[in-house]
Amino acid sequence: MNKHPNRRDFLRLTGASLAGAALYGTFGARRAWADQLGDDKVWKQCSGVTLNFISENTPPSSAIAANLQPFQDLTGIKLNLTQLQLGDVTQKVALDIGSQQGFWHVIYADPYQILAPYYQGLMDLNEFVHDNTLPQVPKGVDDFIPTQLDADGRFLDKKALYTLPYDCPTLIWIYRKDLFEKYQAKMQQALGFDPTPSGERTWEQYYQIADWFNKNAKSDVPFGTGHQARQYDSLMADYTSVLLAYGGDYFNNGQELGLYGTKTPGKCLVTSPEAIEATKFYKKLIAIAHPGSTSWDWDGVAKAFEAGQIAMMPEWHEYAAEFEHSNLKGKVGYSILPRGPKRSANLYGGTGNGINKFAKEKERRAAWLFLVWSTSPAAQLEDLKSKVGGGTPTRQSVYDLPEARAAMEQDSDMPNLLAAKYALEAWKPENIGLRPKISTWNECDTVIFTEVSKMLTAGQSPENTCTAMQRQIDKINKAG
Amino acid sequence: MKTEPHRPAALPYASDPERPVPDVRRKGDAPLRRYRFEFMMMLPALLLLAAISLFPFVYLIWMSLNTVSLAGGLGFTFVGLDNWLQLFSDPQVGQSWKISLIYFACTVGTELVLGIVVALALHALHFGRHLVLSLVLMPIFIAPSIAGLLGYFLVDPVYGFYGWVLRTLGIFSGNLLGTASSAMPTLILIDVWQWTPLIILIVSAGLASLPEDVMEAAKIDGATYFQRLFRIVLPLLAPIILIALLIRSMDAIRFFDAIALTTNGGPADTTKVVAIRLYETAFRFFHLGYAAAIGLTMLIFTIVIAKVFLRALSGRELTN
Repeated sequence: MNKHPNRRDFLRLTGASLAGAALYGTFGARRAWADQLGDDKVWKQCSGVTLNFISENTPPSSAIAANLQPFQDLTGIKLNLTQLQLGDVTQKVALDIGSQQGFWHVIYADPYQILAPYYQGLMDLNEFVHDNTLPQVPKGVDDFIPTQLDADGRFLDKKALYTLPYDCPTLIWIYRKDLFEKYQAKMQQALGFDPTPSGERTWEQYYQIADWFNKNAKSDVPFGTGHQARQYDSLMADYTSVLLAYGGDYFNNGQELGLYGTKTPGKCLVTSPEAIEATKFYKKLIAIAHPGSTSWDWDGVAKAFEAGQIAMMPEWHEYAAEFEHSNLKGKVGYSILPRGPKRSANLYGGTGNGINKFAKEKERRAAWLFLVWSTSPAAQLEDLKSKVGGGTPTRQSVYDLPEARAAMEQDSDMPNLLAAKYALEAWKPENIGLRPKISTWNECDTVIFTEVSKMLTAGQSPENTCTAMQRQIDKINKAG
Repeated sequence: MKTEPHRPAALPYASDPERPVPDVRRKGDAPLRRYRFEFMMMLPALLLLAAISLFPFVYLIWMSLNTVSLAGGLGFTFVGLDNWLQLFSDPQVGQSWKISLIYFACTVGTELVLGIVVALALHALHFGRHLVLSLVLMPIFIAPSIAGLLGYFLVDPVYGFYGWVLRTLGIFSGNLLGTASSAMPTLILIDVWQWTPLIILIVSAGLASLPEDVMEAAKIDGATYFQRLFRIVLPLLAPIILIALLIRSMDAIRFFDAIALTTNGGPADTTKVVAIRLYETAFRFFHLGYAAAIGLTMLIFTIVIAKVFLRALSGRELTN
């Protein structure tokens, strides 16, 4: 008798071991999620439902799409995720809500383009928060960063909650740390101030640094600054950060409008002396920026940065992961945006996920399970480590984790946290930049980026630009 | 069972010219009743046509007379001719029509001239004509959106080959698609690159079908190349050129893909053709009633252009 296992026995044993390990892994992972999120049976109550989730093609959605199995194992719910450009998401959601078909159960509800005009088509999530038969939000909704919870989730009624914060891109100052270190002494001597990017620098100093790079560092980098100044949403974002920093705004009580929105924004204030001053500065700044700026959106300027064409730029902080995975790894620095005469205003571009009011009841409950799961601290931590980009958390508790704290200071498998340290600073009420949350925003937004584009590329004066913006925005809002 | 109307010629007695042919049709029969069988045969196709064409057309007209709201469910509020009155007094729509007409005239005009010249040159080739023609025709097989993206990357100020060439030669160091003065010419060139081959294809087909005997007779009579070109070739090709123009004109005025992908109407609205304005009004602002009115004016313009070319075509055929 042969005492040694033959080849077939070995393969059998190996197969059985692997199957066992896989089963244990699946079960173990599911248990881990369930332990963190609550009772297993509660999570299975909508098993068999198929959910349709429509989202902008953002890093967190890509990370979720790449890691859906734990949710499906935990709930038995099948999730179809559709990722599109934001304009296409808005179009499909508007038509779905208009037809009351409830095809899209989970909606990536941009606060300005979807929540404000179509909030009547979204559920008030308090209904689910107070339902004891459903899993609750781990650590409660107060764990979400307050400015994000209000800006993403609320409209008009300060108690109603339409979405849970899902992603949080914010414009910050991203720069070539290696170049700043190389030229720090020379720049300081020439400019008379420490050029190292920080919230202490002003926009005027930003301009001087860019100009210095243009004139003195051509061998390393062709241009000092680059911008997302294409006639598109990106131009509005880039310009608005400067406008708010200078003390200008589109409407009275702008921060309140940014957090809670309004149906009657009143008269447009973009012809104020502060706004005109900001607009003049913006024109001056783009005049020395990389000429490609006027055809770049956020992706375009990021690609130019990666290609070594510019030394610095205002850019969404979630691009950090892309840079840290590129040839610029370890060479990129982050800071909040420069100050204007009033403050540093870092435009917030985050979004929450909401539930379609016209979906069937079981689908709405299933959608809530997904919302809780996808915004849970565990899921947000997984997103941070995702190989496909990942987002940055919208919860304070994730940033408070020791591993997250460590990753903010040094290279890790969560590169977005290198920028998140500054995003946390940017989200403070005194630093956050918010555009008005109004139902006519799409039209106002188009007026802003079209008129600013005329100023940058067709010679329109800053004064005429502001007057044209005000006239058209007042007409749109019937506030003339 | 009802019998269908007979064709008299098919009956045996029809061959007798003296015998009166019975008229099986009764006075007062409606055409629908007389051709009931034929009508029933056509009905499925007519219903399909109505479903995919007539119903949306009528619905579009109805939308243009309403304010259409999506928030809180689909809602129509009848506003009569308000959208139409707004349309004819809206300077932004007027500006978009102006840009569209410039785009239309420049692209179609350039493509026509270039297309005829290249087709004539190809026709004169004795060797490798089919190979060269195949290469020249390649751009029309590319989807317009891909052609737009290709153009976008080729003129990009960082990576673009053409951007680099112009910069290196000291001709233009700016941003071709990001500067108000150069964005429209760049888009026109992208369109010309893609659609001139269509004119070449159509004109080449026309040249291949020209009567050899007429051409040879002209040569024997001592006509020069240009005399033959302007007195024989182009007049004979005129109907074909008109068809090519008709196809390109109808396309050019509705062109959307490449512009949406490259400039989306910018910079400074210099490339916001009426198709981009329509899309923005409908699917960004959701003013669906107003967008319907803009769409209908585009339809009317296209029909008028088609009528003009068809009339010119039929006039020429009558003359011939």
